[in-house]
Amino acid sequence: MMYEYRSIVTRQRKWMLYLLAILVLGAAFTPYSRIFQGLLLGSIVSFYNLWLLQHKTKALGEAVAENRSVRGGLGTFSRLAAVALTVLIALRFEENFHFIAVVIGIVSSYIIMGLDILLRMTMGRSNQSGN
Amino acid sequence: MGALAAAIAIGLAALGAGLGNGMIVSKTVEGIARQPELKGSLQTTMFIGVALVEAIPIIAAVIAFMVVFQ
Repeated sequence: MMYEYRSIVTRQRKWMLYLLAILVLGAAFTPYSRIFQGLLLGSIVSFYNLWLLQHKTKALGEAVAENRSVRGGLGTFSRLAAVALTVLIALRFEENFHFIAVVIGIVSSYIIMGLDILLRMTMGRSNQSGN
Repeated sequence: MGALAAAIAIGLAALGAGLGNGMIVSKTVEGIARQPELKGSLQTTMFIGVALVEAIPIIAAVIAFMVVFQ
């Protein structure tokens, strides 16, 4: 059962790294560098948010299972602060980062998470019908 | 007026997220304490739930900053 959580975490990180690699290539080799830089900035913060949530969820689960006291929360304020900082950077350096692209980048981890869940559900359904 | 709009947006989103996260975490902690062998699947459910709940205040924070600084 522990394997399930670990595999989801690894898969989501892998998809995020693929996305970041594509965005780096886009920022370096296409003429739309402002848009890709915005997407890259948003996606980096999104990846940090995803990592923090995964880390805190694991820490909370382990602490409860081992009957230890839980230190700290789930890091909600850290994530909100990271997003606020990103938005401020995007607004301050508007000539380098496309603002809407930054916002799309910020929600990229949620898009990846949704696609991952959808993929897992459809694969699980096809496995069930196959058996 | 812009500051008021931003305050209402981020405040209500944070209120909703706080209530939602609290419910999710309390039920997960209860479940893990009762059946520690189900930790993996409960953590997965909590992780997805918290992520979906937190998407709204994050977008609200973006909108609030857009209203205030643009």
